[in-house]
Amino acid sequence: MTVRRALARLLALAQKGSLERDLEAEVQAHLEMAEHDALAAGLSPEEARRAARRQFGGIEQVKEQHRESRSPIRLENLLRDFRYGLNGLARDPSLSAIVVGVLALGIGANVAMFSLVDAVLLKPLPFPDPERIVRVWEAPRPGVTNSTTTPDFLDWRRLGTSFEALSAEVPVSVTLTGQGEPTRLGGKAVTADYFRVFATTPLLGRTFTQNEDRPGADATVVLSHATWQAYFGAAPDILARRIILDGQAHQIIGVLPPGPFDRDDAAFWKSLIFTPDQYLRESHWLGVHGRIRKGVSLEQAREQMISIRSSMIEVNPFWKKDWTIVVEPLGRLLVGDNLQRSIFVAFGAVFLVLLITCANVANLLLARGAARSKEMAVRAALGASRGRLVAQLLTESLVLCLLGGAAGLAVGSLLIQAATPYLAQSIPYTASIGLDHRVFAFAAAVALGVAVVVSALPALQTSAGSLGRSLNLASRGSSGSHHRLRRFIVTVEVALSVVLVCGALLLFRSLSKLQQLDTGIKIENVITMSLSLPARDYPTADRAAAFYQGLAERVKAIPGVLESGLSTHLPLRWISNGEAVEIAGIQQPVNVRFKRVDPGYFRALGIPLLAGRDITERDRLGARRVMVINQALASRLAEVGGMKNPVGQSVGLYSPRYIAKGTVTEDVEIAGVIRSERVAGPGSPDPAVVYVPLAQVPTQEIKLIVRTQADPSSLVPGLRDAVRELDRNLPLGDVATMQEVRERTLSGARRPAWLIGAFALIAALLTAIGLYGVLSQAVTQQRREIGIRLALGAQPRDVVSQVLRNALTLVLAGLALGTLGAIALTRVMKSLLFEVSPLDPVAFTVALGCMTAVGLLAGFVPASRAAHVDPVTTLRDEG
Amino acid sequence: MDDMSKQKAEVPYGTLDLLLLKSLETMGRMHGYALARRIEQVCGDSMQLSQGSVYPALIRLQQEGWIETDWGISETNRKVKFYSLTTSGRKQLLVELANWERATALVARFLEASS
Repeated sequence: MTVRRALARLLALAQKGSLERDLEAEVQAHLEMAEHDALAAGLSPEEARRAARRQFGGIEQVKEQHRESRSPIRLENLLRDFRYGLNGLARDPSLSAIVVGVLALGIGANVAMFSLVDAVLLKPLPFPDPERIVRVWEAPRPGVTNSTTTPDFLDWRRLGTSFEALSAEVPVSVTLTGQGEPTRLGGKAVTADYFRVFATTPLLGRTFTQNEDRPGADATVVLSHATWQAYFGAAPDILARRIILDGQAHQIIGVLPPGPFDRDDAAFWKSLIFTPDQYLRESHWLGVHGRIRKGVSLEQAREQMISIRSSMIEVNPFWKKDWTIVVEPLGRLLVGDNLQRSIFVAFGAVFLVLLITCANVANLLLARGAARSKEMAVRAALGASRGRLVAQLLTESLVLCLLGGAAGLAVGSLLIQAATPYLAQSIPYTASIGLDHRVFAFAAAVALGVAVVVSALPALQTSAGSLGRSLNLASRGSSGSHHRLRRFIVTVEVALSVVLVCGALLLFRSLSKLQQLDTGIKIENVITMSLSLPARDYPTADRAAAFYQGLAERVKAIPGVLESGLSTHLPLRWISNGEAVEIAGIQQPVNVRFKRVDPGYFRALGIPLLAGRDITERDRLGARRVMVINQALASRLAEVGGMKNPVGQSVGLYSPRYIAKGTVTEDVEIAGVIRSERVAGPGSPDPAVVYVPLAQVPTQEIKLIVRTQADPSSLVPGLRDAVRELDRNLPLGDVATMQEVRERTLSGARRPAWLIGAFALIAALLTAIGLYGVLSQAVTQQRREIGIRLALGAQPRDVVSQVLRNALTLVLAGLALGTLGAIALTRVMKSLLFEVSPLDPVAFTVALGCMTAVGLLAGFVPASRAAHVDPVTTLRDEG
Repeated sequence: MDDMSKQKAEVPYGTLDLLLLKSLETMGRMHGYALARRIEQVCGDSMQLSQGSVYPALIRLQQEGWIETDWGISETNRKVKFYSLTTSGRKQLLVELANWERATALVARFLEASS
């Protein structure tokens, strides 16, 4: 087509009215002239008129052809069909509302899910050139990564020319004073290059300069935007202020821009200045981030680090031979495997809901298509091509789906708002969930996709059916092929729902197993909180030990307190690796988790002693070093060291020192064995744990655990006072009941269960609507037949049972299909299930039972309607 | 109507444009009815042409700029659209004629060679 014609066609669109009038006039003139000639040839007026028309051919067809050749007919039709579509929707508002509502649910759930997937998995990290940001680890074994030591980090930084910047960090926890109540703040001590790694420029002021991590530098901090807002009311003169952290004044030098760092655990960043005792080759304490130089590949950087390791091996006796260095892209690290899997399973579930939505909407439109087949047949007879009819149906569905998509966006954004607070904890701090152009594009794509899927079936059906037959069927309702297709769609819906309901039930079964999980401790009426002793006020182990003893005495004196204990780690919370015991005569030390507790700990949590003795008040600093071990370690010692009865035996124990880094190995006597308490969430076996008297190896970070007579939260003010009496500047942090701690540990498993449960419910609901629609239409169509049967003496009971049988046939076929689908699909959930097989018979049976019940319920209303068919009225109406 | 179309040849695909342009060249300014009659008469009864089918072809030629229209009065005293060839239409006619001759010559050569 020439450009000229294309333009003319577009122009024709605008001149449609006048072109149409011209055409009409032209055709009329033509007919008149033809008639005139025919009269002149001697035909009668009537014959002349007929001859003129015959010679002309189909007038409406010619007009349609004229329209098609003069203007971009598809575009014109689209506009017209869009109008038809709107008219059609307005004619049947209740159906339209149902379709849009169903679509809004289905699309909305998908939009919400997509924005999560997008934020967590698809979007690049919100830093410049994020692919160049990596984490660098030591790797003692394949798949295990470890923090590194100061000298190693310095070697890496000196020799690692592949990196533009390499920075080390450690989390710190400080007490902020001078801003009202003393507050605990989490932050990070970082080397000066830290913000160069993330290529972050501050909103206000500056970040660290090269010399700020050298000894003697001024104490400076950079604040996150959120901290600046929350603690300093976004004061504009913030850079002129100093803040007191652990009693030491720090100059505020910069505020970061709002964004990813606000959701990091850290509220502030201060310089990490290495003290001489931190240069130990055996103290693995630093996390390392790096930014790879432009033009250097990840592989090259990795190779360089490995060669650095090889060259350092003689200098560094602490490096074991098979240790290596791992360089991993940051993006991959932020999303754990389990989170990724949960997200995929949830996305799969929400996609099934979308399929069911499609099926349901297709079903509703089919029902409408059936009612409209006569309209279609008439239009076809008047010259509309089959393509036009399909296009019209497509555009109608498109209008519906676009409305549904818009409503879906609204539903999606509500869902996101509702879910974000619950999700915030488990998604990486760099991800921000929300509606952006990518989510809009996704919603549009889904709406279009649904429109195509949803309209393809009814459209083919409506326009393919023989036109003549549709016209002839006028008094009998629609043809049977509609019905077959609709039944098939409902069967598929039932099948998809079975898959979802099965998945949800498996997760709930797993959840109930988790609820019964034996934690090994008493949880009721226990409250916990954390304390951190600043090094400045508690420079020695003696001071710390004295504080803990004083605290224990004061807390026990508070009315309502039954027991109280102190520990470095809460029960049910992970204890990090790193310490080990050495057994005389055994080469390989046994790895253990190291937990410091005071004499009250086991009593406060009701952990029973199995052998030997408890930790007592007499186990103080300077006394004979003792420890209590858990059952898991006892059996490990029996296995590795042949220690049948560990109580009374002595082993070498690596123990961290007070404040200073590094560990010392000391001879420690095993005083007793306790029953294992659960250390982490489900799925991991009990690790070997040593319990060391807190008084013998004091530390700065401590948890207070208090068991009370009644509701423990009422005692929090009393506990605060007790702490304040000992140290005015010491804040209590992380107040949580043991119940809450337990929830937190288990919540990873709980979230997908509720999510998929909700999807399954939506799916079952949609399926019920679909089933109801089909059965109810079947009853309407068979009204005449039912009427005759009733008139011939059939019992209403028979009619009801026939309709219900009909429902059951549909459901049973769906159940069979769904069971196969569920067997295939629930396997991907294996890692999310706790002590439940993906083929759990209980879940499958209940799912099948549920869907059968849904089927019968959906069939019941049409069935009872059928039973109340009045033979006389029916036969008269239709006869 | 179905029966008739089986007995008589339809206007060969793509030749209607040529017939219309050629008619306008020979006869000058004409209205749609006259054009349809002219084609019918010249082709005789051998060709099945629904007279109405000239109109979709005419609007196409007009949009290409090969013919132009103006309003005049028909023999029955009615306002009617007249068509006439434009300069570019004359050129186009030459192109179409050349194409036609090339095509028929090709087919003729092919048939000779094959017989």
